[in-house]
Amino acid sequence: MSHTKSLPKPTALDRLKARFFNTTLNSVVTLVLGAITLWILYNLANWALVHAVWGVDQGDACRANRDGACWSIISTRWRIVFFGLYPFEEQWRSGLACAIMVVVAVLSCIPWFWSARRLPFLWVAGFAAFYILMRGGMFGLTEVVERNWGGLALTVFIFSAVCLIGMPLAICFALLRQSSLPWVARTVGLIIDTVRSLPLLAIMFTFAIVLPFALPSWAIGESLYRVIIGYSLFFAAYQAEIIRGGMQSLPTGQEEAAKALGLGYWHRIGYIILPQAFRNALPPTINQFVITFKETTLVTIIGFFDVMTSGRTASGTAEWSFATLEMYVFLALLFFVFVFSLSRYGAYLERRLGVGTR
Amino acid sequence: MPDTQNTAIRIRNMHKYYGVFHALRDINLDIAKGEKVVICGPSGSGKSTLIRCINRLEEHQEGEITVMGTPLDDNVDNIDEIRREAGMVFQNFNLFPHMTVLDNCTLSPMLSRKIDRAEAEATAMRYLERVKIPDQARKFPGELSGGQQQRVAIARALCMAPEIMLFDEPTSALDPEMIAEVLDVMVGLADEGMTMVCVTHEMGFARRVADRVIFMADGQVIEQGTPEEFFDHPKNERTKAFLSQIVGH
Repeated sequence: MSHTKSLPKPTALDRLKARFFNTTLNSVVTLVLGAITLWILYNLANWALVHAVWGVDQGDACRANRDGACWSIISTRWRIVFFGLYPFEEQWRSGLACAIMVVVAVLSCIPWFWSARRLPFLWVAGFAAFYILMRGGMFGLTEVVERNWGGLALTVFIFSAVCLIGMPLAICFALLRQSSLPWVARTVGLIIDTVRSLPLLAIMFTFAIVLPFALPSWAIGESLYRVIIGYSLFFAAYQAEIIRGGMQSLPTGQEEAAKALGLGYWHRIGYIILPQAFRNALPPTINQFVITFKETTLVTIIGFFDVMTSGRTASGTAEWSFATLEMYVFLALLFFVFVFSLSRYGAYLERRLGVGTR
Repeated sequence: MPDTQNTAIRIRNMHKYYGVFHALRDINLDIAKGEKVVICGPSGSGKSTLIRCINRLEEHQEGEITVMGTPLDDNVDNIDEIRREAGMVFQNFNLFPHMTVLDNCTLSPMLSRKIDRAEAEATAMRYLERVKIPDQARKFPGELSGGQQQRVAIARALCMAPEIMLFDEPTSALDPEMIAEVLDVMVGLADEGMTMVCVTHEMGFARRVADRVIFMADGQVIEQGTPEEFFDHPKNERTKAFLSQIVGH
């Protein structure tokens, strides 16, 4: 800009006037909505903060107090929410395992790890550490079978396992669907469309309950893993279409230039096509991760204690049943922290990779 | 019979169809090592298709193509070998937007020629200097002008140390003031003895560097000859009409 004289910078008050009090009607609307907002905030703060009971084991104090929230249920029973049925004296393992996954997630946000070698290595290593800590039975750790896993740790396990299995599967599906052999492309297309047209609940149910009747006994395995495989298939079917969309948005010249340089199929896919396809498909991919995280709560129907069910159990006893609302608020907050940081990270990635700007 | 030792590209009775559309009809062409050939013709005449058949970006249905002694057939190793021997420059540059200029140049030498990074980068810098943009090596293609991008594309192709360079309308997508900088690089290459096949409408360039000009229409080679014969004494009526159109205004 080459203005010699710039206008005086508008003050906060000027902006407020211009946006909210520029006409009589707007002023009235501002005042009324402002009053309602303040009233809600005041009551919320009163309930959640001012009159709340915070201490451990204060159920009686909570029951006597009708004006405030009973956060005592969280400070008393948080272990159930986080670890479910995991044995009490071993819960440090579950906590450490979750911390490792969080560290892995944070590390994979650092650009240094964004290479085809480092990122999968980081996730596989982190996931193996998680599994060893949770499952035990080696390195002097007592064994804790999957049936006894629960709470946030189980939710994190299911989510990361589904992403870890589902993402490579999605890439395979996407590539096979583009195959030059028509019967391969059509078969994979049929699989994707079939899985996509079934509800997730039905797929989980099939894999958990129905599949054991169809499989030989040595192939049945733990129902948790069957559910994870079913869920991964579901994830892969959707993600494959997202990746395919990303690939089809590339100009054909990209693949031609790679061919003309003598690059073979796998080099073209790994260095030219997929990196750009993922960049183009980033917004829907983040969306897919968010949906997948939230839908892990469905495993409750086949009897697993994910974080939602654990929360309900924690507030399900006669002693604490009056504090169900507080428990749900806490669970909502947990989900919010996970999903909101995921979408903020996605937004950061989009800015950094310049999605939509070529 | 042409001397096979000195033949870079040999095309015999080649036909190309898109479905029922007969895109190339009975093409016979021998291009010697070190020869510079310019292909021109009206749009839709098949000139781009012809050049793209040479490195199998398009598949021909009948006839034979041999590049540097390697037959172009369905053998993937042969196709890759030919593609490494024949560098290609496209109308739309087709640089990889997610990599720096330097990475664009080193990728294929490192992956398909197994050259280590230090050597590949040294080679890339040498070619980037030759196309006069070594200072842009760390930038991304999107930060460069069209003319600069096309020069990077030429450097990228040269990094594979090809015997032949194929140019598919390399200046058609450029702003007029950038055409000269790309043509300069191409003239320099020609002077060094590179075998070149150029689809282009730059008739000044054709006159200056071409050993032979080929005129195509309706998927056939209509006329060919030295630039002097071709521009000053065209024989075929279609050639005359074409030349009067592009020179006439």
